[in-house]
This record gives sequence, structure tokens and C-alpha cells, in this order.
Amino acid sequence: MNGDRQQRLQHLTRFLRTIQKPNKPVESIGMNENLVTSGLIDSLALVQIVVYLENTYGIDFAALGADPERLASIASILDIVEEAAGA
Amino acid sequence: MLVDLKAGNLAEPVSGRRWERRRIEREVARRIARFRRHGLARGDRVFLPFGNRMEFFAELLAIWRLGACAVPIDARLTPFEVETLVAAAQPRLAVVDDATAPAVAEALTSAGVAVAGTTDPGSEEATAALLRLDDDALILFTSGSTGNPKGVVHTHRSLRARWMSLRDHLGVAPFARTLCLLPTHFGHGLICNCLFPWLSGQDLFVTPPFRPDIIMRLGALLDEHRITFMSSVPSLWRLALKLARPPQAGTLERVHCGSAPLSAQVWEDIRRWTGARQVCNAYGITETGSWVAGLGEADCPAEDGLIGEGWGAVIKVLRTSGTLVPLDAGAECATGEAGFVWLNTPALMKGYFQRDDLTAQAVIDGWFMTGDIGFLDARGRLVLRGRERDEINKGGMKIYPADVDAVVERFEQASDVSTFALDDEIYGQTVGIAVVLTDQDDATLRALHRWMLAHLAEPKMPARWWVVESIPRTSRGKINRDAVKAACAGLAPLDMARILGGGASA
Repeated sequence: MNGDRQQRLQHLTRFLRTIQKPNKPVESIGMNENLVTSGLIDSLALVQIVVYLENTYGIDFAALGADPERLASIASILDIVEEAAGA
Repeated sequence: MLVDLKAGNLAEPVSGRRWERRRIEREVARRIARFRRHGLARGDRVFLPFGNRMEFFAELLAIWRLGACAVPIDARLTPFEVETLVAAAQPRLAVVDDATAPAVAEALTSAGVAVAGTTDPGSEEATAALLRLDDDALILFTSGSTGNPKGVVHTHRSLRARWMSLRDHLGVAPFARTLCLLPTHFGHGLICNCLFPWLSGQDLFVTPPFRPDIIMRLGALLDEHRITFMSSVPSLWRLALKLARPPQAGTLERVHCGSAPLSAQVWEDIRRWTGARQVCNAYGITETGSWVAGLGEADCPAEDGLIGEGWGAVIKVLRTSGTLVPLDAGAECATGEAGFVWLNTPALMKGYFQRDDLTAQAVIDGWFMTGDIGFLDARGRLVLRGRERDEINKGGMKIYPADVDAVVERFEQASDVSTFALDDEIYGQTVGIAVVLTDQDDATLRALHRWMLAHLAEPKMPARWWVVESIPRTSRGKINRDAVKAACAGLAPLDMARILGGGASA
């Protein structure tokens, strides 16, 4: 994992701690594990992830549209950020 | 005729399954035969702890044709809550699906309730026509799943009154292809979003409730199935407006939003996103068969709190909220003057199940006290301004603080508790809790959390927690939830993620 991705991962992990359900450690979730079905977050919290990505990285979902699969895991969210940074 | 209950077609857009009318009749006939094998008789009650699938509707019609009463319940309830409802309603039978938690099925069996699976009703078919207008048709439990259940009883007569009124005011054409994204265990989703169109012969498309992946594809879903009508709650729109691409086919004719206050801003955003002008805030209460008022002609400027005219209901705004003495015409508020909203409708519930005391507190001479505050504008339209009811409206789901308190009060180390509403960006409101504990260490909090998880459905679990020294009460000893909330607002909530081992605080 390169430095930028590692830094973004740390930032994302800190954010996920603020919206996660209290009885599930974010550290126990695999990079490709589904955040909702694993029980880490409530399904409607996906919108909070979108707001986080908009505010932190300036990603415009109104233009992009949101694909639920692409918001499903930590790895796929980091991919969105990287694509936006490279665009 | 609507009263003949001529069902339309059913479809599940997510699974791709579809039942035409003839297939539906066969599925109902198989379930009538199955219920007869179980000895179901008129007046019996049947629990349905599942929903949002085609089999649910076949079960419903079979139950009704046998003169029995359906009790749809939230699939997310804990075994403890299901046992509480069983003790209150004494069902003869429960029908479950393959997603029903084994612990719930075990709780039903342990309580002496026979359990049948909805996906395997057998091949035998039978017919029945035992339904009478004044039979109990539905019991919808709105609160008390942890203590004293409050079940709204609707008869076939009150349900038909609701559907006939809606047909008179709205017609059926806009509902030709209706989408339901809401749960089918509560009034809004079941009686109005699903049963009104479907039993008026229109096609019903039903999805699992509140699934973000479905909401994110809402525009495509509307286009693919040429949906003409959908209902919803504001929290669903917070997600859809942000994440889903708008529909492009232009099939949507009418949109309702209900179960929670709708702001003028979101109202106009929904119009822009859907391309439909006929968008309105449908005012519904389970006791009145849900949608009881709204805008028939909804192409008008959006206003905060605007509801509209009664749909098969007389609306009065009075200065009194009491049901002990007959209502006095002199108590009626002037135009624009805020007061308590009362409703008179032939769709009013029969009463609360075996709770005449609660019915007497809510109804007098056929008038139902809603607990909402509002006024009638110069055009006679209802405008809502607030609620007097003690409830937390989490994305349209009503959570009663007393239900959560009742569970915590039984925890040995809790000496006092107050649950209250917190503002929430996604849900509108969410659950906050202040608790007085004899031991305030992390181990006690972890034990309390485990206790609550075992007794409360997940959506009722608090989002933020405070441990306090005392709970403010009124001079009459009643919990002052506003004062509790105000006191907690100045304190940092507990870091439950750390306490429960969920990682270091951010």
C-alpha cells in the first residue's frame, strides 16, 4: 500500500469510528468486507460516507452517481478516492 | 367494485418474481387449505413476523377469507418482544419465512403457537368466504413490545372506509403501477401504500424495506418498471436525492411522503428529482387507517407542514386535548390559530386491542385525538406545527421512549432511566439515553448493552448514551424528557465504541 493510500485509510478509519455501531471494532473488518452486512454500520449510514467523501475529497456524487457496490467496503471506498484524485 | 377486493398483480423487482391474478388466487387457495389443516377458525389471530414479499399478501387474503385476523409484526423484533406480543394477542398460529430468526420461531413454539412456513403451504387448495365486514381484520402493534402492548384493531369495515375514501379523493389511475419501499408491518406501508392500490386492482411492486442499495438505484427501478406511484418517508429521500440518478422515463405521476414532517425544501427537491408535480405530504395515523389527509390536487407551492384537506375525514383544531368530557364547539380554534388536531372518520380503528382504557384516552364520541398540533389555514387546509406525542420518529419508525425505559428498568444496576429524541442528519431523529447506574464502570455498561440487545429490536437501540446522577422529574413525578435532553446536551456522550471494545475514540 502506498503512502497516500495508507494516509487515506487512516483518515477513513477514524471517520468510520464516528459512525460505526458501538459493539463492532472497525479494526476487525477486512479491507474487502462489506461494511453493512458485517454489522459495522447501519445501512442508512452509507449516506454519511458519501457526505464524508464529498467534504473531504470534493467528490461530486450528484455528477458521478453512487454505485452501492463501490461504497460497500473500505477498499472500494479508497478506490473511489484514488480515481477522483487522478481524474 | 373495490369492496369485492379484486387484487391486482404482484411483483418483486429485486428477485424478479411476479404473480398474475390467477396465480395469486391459487396461492391464496393453498394457504386457505393449509390454515384449515391447522384448525384456523373465524376470530383467530395469525402472527406474520415477515413481510415485503408476495407470499405475505397471499397469507393476508387467506386469513381474511377464513374470518381470521392478521397480526403483521416487525421481523426485527427480539424473541423477548415477540413473546410479549404473543402473551397479549394469543395467536393461534404464526407464519414465518426463510429469513425469520430461528430464535423467534423457537420463542413462538415455546409460547404454544403453531408455526407454519410461508414458502411451503402444500399443494392442496380450498376456498372460503367467511369474511364479515365487522370482523377484526388487522392488529398493528404500535408500541409496548417490551411491556404493555398497544395494538390498533381495524375491521374490514374501517379498512374499506379508508380505501373507498382514498379512491373518491385520488382515483385509482395514478396508482396503476405502485412501488412499495416501506415495511409492510405498519399502517403507512401496508394499508395505504400496498393494500389500497393492490386491492383496487392495480399492480403492486414490493421491495425489501429501506435497503440503501435499492434506494441508490431508485431512478432506474422507477424507469424499468414504469412506476406511476410511490410513497416514502423523508429519510428515504435524504438518501435518494443525494445518491440516486433521477428517473428518465417520466412515468411517475404521483408521490406521497409521510410518517414524518416534510420540509418545503425537501418537497421541492423531490419534485425536481422525480419530475412529478403531484407530490404531497400524506398525513397518516395507524388509528385512522393511515393516510387521512393530504392534497388531492398537489401541484401547488410547497410549504413547511402543509398537509391539505381531509380524505374521508373531518378535521377540527381545538383548544382541548382531553377526552373526559364531550367536545365543545366553543373550543374550536379560529383560522390560523394553533391547537390540537382531532379527526372524525369512518376509517377509525375499532379500538386498541383489549385496552378499553387506552381507547377511552384517545377517542370520544367518534373523535380521535391525534396528539399533533396544527391549524387550519384560510382555505381550510391542515398545516402541522408540532407533536405532543411522546415518541421518537426515527426515519418514519415510531419508537416509544417508555418501551426502551421498560427494558433498562429491569436491569439490576440501573436505578433510573430516560430515553429521549435526538436530532439526526439521516433519520430526522434518533434515540438518546440517560441512565443512572449503581456501578458506573465499563463492565456494567457492557452488561447493560448486552441486556438491551437481547430485549430490544436493533433500531430501538440508543445511538448516544449518558450516565447521569439523577433524572429530572416534574412535580408529579413524571420524567421530564426535555429537561433530560437539555441536561445531556451540555455533557459529552459516553464513548461506547471504546467501552464495548470497538476501538479507540476518533
